Amino acid sequence: MKFTFAMLFFVALVCPAVFSQGKSAVASPPDPQTIANGKSAFRVNCSFCHGLHADGGLRAPSLVSGHLSHGDSDDAMLNNILHGIPGTAMPANDLDEPSVRDIIAYLRSLQKPATAPPGGNAEAGRKLFFGEAYCSRCHMVFGQGGRLGPDLSRVGATRPREYLVESIREPDAQITERFVATDFGNISPTYELVTVTTRKGTTFSGVIINEDSFSLQFMDDREVIHSWPKSELQSITHEKRSPMPQYTSQQLTDAQLNDLLVFLSSLRGDRP
Amino acid sequence: MIRRSSPVLCLLNLLYFLCLTAMPGKLAAQVTSDQLLHSSDGPTNWLLYSGSYDAHRFSSLSQINRDNVSELAPQWVLQTSAPGFFEATPLVVDGVMYVTAPEDNAYALDARTGRRLWTYTRALPEKIRACCGHTNRGFAILGTRLFLATLDAHVVALDSATGNVLWDVKAADYTQGHAFTVAPLVVKDKVIVGVSGGEYGIRGFIDAYDAATGKLAWRFYTVPLPGEPGGDTWPDAQSAARGGAPAWVTGSYDPQLNLLFWPTGNPSPSDDGGVRKGDNLYSNCILALNPDTGKLQWHFQFTPFDLHDWDATEVPVLLDTQLNGAARKLLLDANRNGFFYVLDRTNGQFLFAKPYATQTWAKSIGSAGKPVILPASAPSEEGVRTCPGAAGATNWMSPSYSPQTSLFYVSVREQCDVFYTHRQPFVAGRPYIGSVYMPAAKEKDWGAVRAIDPKTGEIRWEYKEFSAPWGGNLSTAGHLVFTGDLEGNLIALDADTGKHLWHFQTGAAIYAAPITYELGGRQYVAIPSGTTLLTFALPATNP
Repeated sequence: MKFTFAMLFFVALVCPAVFSQGKSAVASPPDPQTIANGKSAFRVNCSFCHGLHADGGLRAPSLVSGHLSHGDSDDAMLNNILHGIPGTAMPANDLDEPSVRDIIAYLRSLQKPATAPPGGNAEAGRKLFFGEAYCSRCHMVFGQGGRLGPDLSRVGATRPREYLVESIREPDAQITERFVATDFGNISPTYELVTVTTRKGTTFSGVIINEDSFSLQFMDDREVIHSWPKSELQSITHEKRSPMPQYTSQQLTDAQLNDLLVFLSSLRGDRP
Repeated sequence: MIRRSSPVLCLLNLLYFLCLTAMPGKLAAQVTSDQLLHSSDGPTNWLLYSGSYDAHRFSSLSQINRDNVSELAPQWVLQTSAPGFFEATPLVVDGVMYVTAPEDNAYALDARTGRRLWTYTRALPEKIRACCGHTNRGFAILGTRLFLATLDAHVVALDSATGNVLWDVKAADYTQGHAFTVAPLVVKDKVIVGVSGGEYGIRGFIDAYDAATGKLAWRFYTVPLPGEPGGDTWPDAQSAARGGAPAWVTGSYDPQLNLLFWPTGNPSPSDDGGVRKGDNLYSNCILALNPDTGKLQWHFQFTPFDLHDWDATEVPVLLDTQLNGAARKLLLDANRNGFFYVLDRTNGQFLFAKPYATQTWAKSIGSAGKPVILPASAPSEEGVRTCPGAAGATNWMSPSYSPQTSLFYVSVREQCDVFYTHRQPFVAGRPYIGSVYMPAAKEKDWGAVRAIDPKTGEIRWEYKEFSAPWGGNLSTAGHLVFTGDLEGNLIALDADTGKHLWHFQTGAAIYAAPITYELGGRQYVAIPSGTTLLTFALPATNP
């Protein structure tokens, strides 16, 4: 093949951001061959974004966590896979219906049993976000908050609960990509911390905005955007971690986390 | 094929007429076979995909050189409005540039001003089976005919003066996974093309068409069936019939030996060898074919029983030189599998191979040219990390050889993948991969241009790039190497040392190799990027 098959998914065949957390749809008794075929079709067509085991990747959510936010039924899933989901990164896919049915059967076979919706209070979560937990120091929601981290105004529509938990409890596990490159084949930088020392000996740190062989752009913790020609830097250290602090259960109790998650999950781009 | 009459086309025709009358000379090109044979002697033009039949992608132009390249400035920009991977090599003939773009759009331009002379569009069917983008890598030309191989698996001849269609022949059924992305190669009176479709379980082929009529002159199937020579490298007729081995990169040609050297791609399915145990000829080969008959003279296979999608579709570079005290006719191949190979192109004899990039799959290449494979390098259900990744240590992006420095310049990708396998049922016309590969987690890819001494395989210098590139290379007698990086920089390097001399941010990832030409006493450098084609030159001197 010409490029990595990964690139193919960039171009045309990315599978959907279909599910979020909640209850599972009723599964039919699985036929092992159908599930095997679905697994194969999923790996070839969907896994680059949704993860090898459909449990989520950097580009698209987990598909095994239960409730589907863009439609629960087999027909809704079929429609989403074939035609894409407007307003998301999920494109239409050139697949035939039997293959999509196989994929759906495979995903059903992976779905976890329904669990009781977690408790939590969205208003308490909102207060944590803008107050005690300092989330808004770096994240913006509907125009309120800081600029260092991703805008979270639609995070409830794009990220499943598991991803949000990981991002809060273990922010370095996966560093989110930043959407700056829109041309074919370009690779998006992540929200990674970088430290540079200039030839004059001054040191700066910040969150990477973009980088190539010749220059580096980043935002420091005062939200000042820096642009440095690499020729003027004596060292560049990619810290391989997110500037986001780790919120352990000491910093954020499980009950507080639940409140925060309910608030974040309610953010779907609809301005209040 | 469709050409539509429209007000836009009428306007273009008017522009063409105005250009004709405004230019001091005629713009309609007439390219002879003799010109193609001696393309290196006429460096003002760019007549072949790789610049010359030996595929050196070298120009003897030296107006732009290492002392003045820092003054290089944009001259004009073509905006194609054709989104996709813009991978074409333009041709330039006597003041006219002919360039193809994604979706089989094509343009003729006044190479001095960028003004269009005509536009060709094609009404492609809705569901083209092209795994990796609706791309096209360029035209070939003979006489006043331009040859285009299309995504719906046709070969088309256009009139170079008007873009009118002269003939349009169907080579294969696009609904079954056949497509063309290749720039054709004209050899004598024939137009040679190779098919794409290694991700769809096609049976690959290389075709030759009569340039005048479009009649098929010969077809060479790159997968032999049982009973044919090489047929025993497949378990059965069914696996061979779905065996892939596409031929989607333009080959090179030696007129003295009258041999065409054409590379082939991966066996299908690319990641699951369980259904195709054997060497899988002629996947991942260089084929030496008689261009008059399509008869195979010899073959050399780089990666037998490939499990990592390492197509050998890299441009084969021909070099006549002294090696160990003897005059040799060599074929140089920086292969996707991470090794730089040198063959005797008169007979396909393996001379040596050396790694030129990080590789974790082979202990060495043995004396007969077969890899000595390391254990645990095959994909598994759980995943196995292997370097290079599926995109390879390099890929289709063109290398360059400079007779001025005697160095071979190749764009190198330092990137590893985790390869997974899982049996995939075959459905005609659908992707047939055998699972998936993904970039190794938390490993930042990077790239380089490396200058290799073709007599030893030694790396003489390296220019590092931030990401693994998809841009090819051009070397010139100005002691320069031009390359393009993934972040969109067109870069000029000192061909002797690799020192960075100049760069320009074009605004999109570069997926093509630069070319150069001369017009009105000025040397130009042209590069496709994103949906645009940019040209550069030194500041004009006042007359």
